[in-house]
Amino acid sequence: MVFLRQGVLKEVISEVFETMYFTDVDFEEREGEGEGVFEYGSETRLEHSEGCIVLRMRIGEKFAKMITANFLGIDEARADEVKEDDLVDSLRELANMVAGGCHAHAPGSDWKLGIPRAWRGGAEEDNSARRVCGLGFTFSGEPAGSAALEYLSG
Amino acid sequence: MAYNVLMVDDSGSMRKVLLKTLRLSGFEIGQCLEASNGREALAMLEGEWIDLILSDVHMPEMDGIEFLRILRQKELFSNTPVVFVTTEANEERLKLLMELGASGYIRKPFRPEEIGALLNRIMGAPDGFPAARSSEGSDF
Repeated sequence: MVFLRQGVLKEVISEVFETMYFTDVDFEEREGEGEGVFEYGSETRLEHSEGCIVLRMRIGEKFAKMITANFLGIDEARADEVKEDDLVDSLRELANMVAGGCHAHAPGSDWKLGIPRAWRGGAEEDNSARRVCGLGFTFSGEPAGSAALEYLSG
Repeated sequence: MAYNVLMVDDSGSMRKVLLKTLRLSGFEIGQCLEASNGREALAMLEGEWIDLILSDVHMPEMDGIEFLRILRQKELFSNTPVVFVTTEANEERLKLLMELGASGYIRKPFRPEEIGALLNRIMGAPDGFPAARSSEGSDF
């Protein structure tokens, strides 16, 4: 998966947060730092005839409320009033756009973007998945979430 | 002039963002219908007059490509402007959309001014709204 490196993931995540969520994040040096302590998960698949790449994201509740408020144009001071359905939907769209950005780096025309999903709760693991790359990100110095790309052979 | 708009996207929050973007771009919205996939959209269009359709590509049940293919077979909607707002990056699929009669597409993530500029080109600038206006610095 030469086209998908940590640098690509960083670039895509930055662009999506800045453009759609009006938020800048900093990235952590260690892969997946903070993973497991975030309340929400989202996932999208990039499918290929020979296998698929899964984008898995974990997002902390406070950060999720803030970016959802920004996304919907709600005053950040009222982020606590964001409805759970809107929050989960916004995180689905986040995974969709990040996976779409990764898709743009994929060579050839055989890759197809799947339907994203998001949920509140723990991380879902697939033991057959092989980690391609991953990173954590912070907002205002606090851990905000993580993202990882995993490969599942067909 | 107020436009009747149909938004087709499986994300309710994205539909809200698109509606807000249209308004910020100066488009007066009359009736705004919302559907979460192509099948719902086609059912909703029966008996309605729509000036503009904004649609996603990747949706459950019926995707944007199939939706457009069927829509263009309907005489009433054979020329209705359809703009896709999508994460689709596959050039062949984007080309197919244009061949099927899409009016244009915008990749997500997008800046509000990109949508405004494209719609200005397709629909004509909204009343009192200069086509070249940028929404940079707006409170979007």
